[in-house]
Amino acid sequence: MPDRPNALELIEAVTEFLSTEVLPAATDHRAKFRTLVALNALGIAWRELTASNNVLLRDEEAATLARRIRAGDVREGDRELLKKHVAAKLRISNPGYLDRYE
Amino acid sequence: MVEAAPWADELETRLGRRVTSMQLLPGGASKEAWAVDADGERLLVRRALAGVIHEATLSLEDEFRVIEAAAEAGVKVPRPVAYLGLVGGREAFAMELVEGETIGRRIVRKPPPGLDTQLAEELAKIHAIPPERVPFLRSGDVLERFEHELDSVGEPHPALEYGLWWLREHRPEPLADVVSHGDFRLGNIVVSERGLEYVLDWEFAHLSDPREDVAWPIVRAWRFGADDRRLGGIGEVGPYLERYEELTGRSISEADLDWWEVLGNVKWGTGCLTQSRRHLNGQDRSVEYAVLGRMAAEMEYELIDLIDRA
Repeated sequence: MPDRPNALELIEAVTEFLSTEVLPAATDHRAKFRTLVALNALGIAWRELTASNNVLLRDEEAATLARRIRAGDVREGDRELLKKHVAAKLRISNPGYLDRYE
Repeated sequence: MVEAAPWADELETRLGRRVTSMQLLPGGASKEAWAVDADGERLLVRRALAGVIHEATLSLEDEFRVIEAAAEAGVKVPRPVAYLGLVGGREAFAMELVEGETIGRRIVRKPPPGLDTQLAEELAKIHAIPPERVPFLRSGDVLERFEHELDSVGEPHPALEYGLWWLREHRPEPLADVVSHGDFRLGNIVVSERGLEYVLDWEFAHLSDPREDVAWPIVRAWRFGADDRRLGGIGEVGPYLERYEELTGRSISEADLDWWEVLGNVKWGTGCLTQSRRHLNGQDRSVEYAVLGRMAAEMEYELIDLIDRA
């Protein structure tokens, strides 16, 4: 075990710094935008580290499936599986995005 | 002179004008933009930064030639001033510095009336640029292009592969190639309360089926959160297609755009992955490019959803 703060707590500390100090002080649109992007990146990292089961297809499975589809061998159920696979990725990268489909 | 670059003298010589001030504008990882006062005129000087140019992007010289051709064709573009050759060892060109709104999220909040048909009008003029005027523009099979790009990423994306497979299975009869802008959408146009003022960012210009451009602003990512307005978050597709047909004679139905909308999602999903690689491989270190790698999943979900409903 590393000394505290651990990785998550460090992410939280930087997140708080960016949102309470850097963001309010950002003057032009671009600086503000980049700070929001950085906060978003930290949010993704935080969710990735805290999710217990965040992938549906492991790299190897995804690679095999990708090669098979490229070869034109598409099977019943592929699309349903892919939709779940992508939804699992979105729950880490942008959970709110899925609400747009309800 | 404020923030003068070491190559300011060279710039004066190339422009043949006295530069009284110049300021580096924020943003731009592969190209820089300078606001320059030259003999009382406000110019924008675009200058290459990184040595490596994208496969799909034009050199600054060719980009400038396209802007000139667009201006001649009556497209609303900032007035091209001069291609400057190498300035401080990097390619550069100068054009009129324009003002106005480019931020998609702000435009969709209160779109100026008529923007829908104005988009069609500019696109019609772009698609009428004589290809022989810009002979360096490249054509090619659009699906092969994205397969190739996806291969360059070096990470499996079965959902994008599924999109490519579906596109191959349902390929429409092609329309003859036209000069295409290549990135015609909110974010790359300047808008004022009067409506569309300028079309920017010509570096992706190429020859393609006109529907590639027509469908691009419809892609959900370019609706900037206003999902229920299919045309770029600003309006309905109907009037846009009608106006485009009036001006070009090309009849494109809303259903015709479905295939191109799936294609657009494959294109931007793949684009996110390749742009994040520019960060990962050290070419253009930037948190903005970095997170794009994780945004590709949004386009993957959208394209599967579109295919579900097709």
